[in-house]
Amino acid sequence: MEYRDYYKILGVERGVSADALKGAYRRLARKFHPDVSKEANAEARFKEVQEAYEVLKDPEKRAAYDQLGADWKSGEQFRPPPDWGSGYEFSGGPRRSGRDRGAQRAGNGGQAEFSQADFSDFFSSLFGGGSPFGGAGYAEGSGRPARDHHARVDIELEEAFRGATRTLELRRPEAGADGRVELRNHTVRVTIPPGVTEGQLIRLAGQGAPAAGGGAAGDLYLEAHILPNPRFALDGRDVTLTLPLAPWEAALGASVTVPTLGGVVQMQIPAGSQAGQKLRLRGRGLPGQPPGDEYVQLKIVLPPANTAEARAAYEDLRSKLSFNPRADLGV
Amino acid sequence: MVRVTTLLEAHVVTEGDWIGAAEICQLCRIDFNAVQELADLGVLEPRHSGGAWQVPAVALPRLRIVGALMHDLGLNASGAALALDLLETQRALERRIRELEHLTQGH
Repeated sequence: MEYRDYYKILGVERGVSADALKGAYRRLARKFHPDVSKEANAEARFKEVQEAYEVLKDPEKRAAYDQLGADWKSGEQFRPPPDWGSGYEFSGGPRRSGRDRGAQRAGNGGQAEFSQADFSDFFSSLFGGGSPFGGAGYAEGSGRPARDHHARVDIELEEAFRGATRTLELRRPEAGADGRVELRNHTVRVTIPPGVTEGQLIRLAGQGAPAAGGGAAGDLYLEAHILPNPRFALDGRDVTLTLPLAPWEAALGASVTVPTLGGVVQMQIPAGSQAGQKLRLRGRGLPGQPPGDEYVQLKIVLPPANTAEARAAYEDLRSKLSFNPRADLGV
Repeated sequence: MVRVTTLLEAHVVTEGDWIGAAEICQLCRIDFNAVQELADLGVLEPRHSGGAWQVPAVALPRLRIVGALMHDLGLNASGAALALDLLETQRALERRIRELEHLTQGH
């Protein structure tokens, strides 16, 4: 595995005070927070920053990390020393914060929130489950495997229209025969009905982590994220398509073939249509109660004047039409 | 090793679905005081059912962001609610810009 320089990741010196460390973490968390940031690789950077802060904010972990020495460089091949973690007294039970437990990952287009399960191998070997810092299993009364009942699932617009299936890998804490709790992988195949819209929640009953104090598992919520579509823009259940028209189709009216999510339809373009005008195809958006509509926004495309015939046709128009497109400007 | 795949039918959450306050706190990493403060700020509209607080399930994505901002950036409820409003405004404007670019550039 590769060594990680947590001080460098947070942009601080080794002797940094706890307050300055917190400030550095806050600045970077603000910069790379995936709910806020537009930076490239924000999610990966945010995870790095969280991992670094998770270690350095804890005096015991930081002291142990510091004992590895200051000569290591980021990316250098690393193995934990055999006496790793010895000499530290750990307060309380297994050292896991609420945020770190019960990680669940959603595969095939799904994306779980961050948890310790997303941290690097370097972190896992030094501070994760099974390490002297991570504890092994969840001691009774030490707290529940909290959160991580929420994941994002990416869906193509066509799938939102027709329905979709997703295979998710969920990691859930479960008690074994000896009473110890371990994370176990479960594969679930989820059928998502047609008509899911951006940001809509999909509930999978009983697939989340157990509720506080044990007992039945909670529900898992998937937040649908509809991927951008090159043809249709989505707003709620409505979709908008930009439809190119020839000038004579807009001026004289025409029957044109128009794509919809459910296939092509014929649409009548009224004579005298203008660019930017919106026409509606009722019920051709995403299904639902009521279904969405498709809006067809007109765009007039000029044929190029790149042949003698085309130039002659434009000259003919100029001579026959007394048309001033800038009349509204008074010029 | 046999790989077991469980087939699940998804339930799409609608306006008629409600979540208990305790579950919301767990899902969004916020405490009950913050839930009450967010209700006062108009981020969510809870109801009282059988003496217990319930929150519309459709509010969960917004509350998840508020919880993440409070937890990860150290914001208080008011700051996180304001940031959420601004983020939503920004996203709506970005969506509108994409639509207009789509119209002017065409495909």
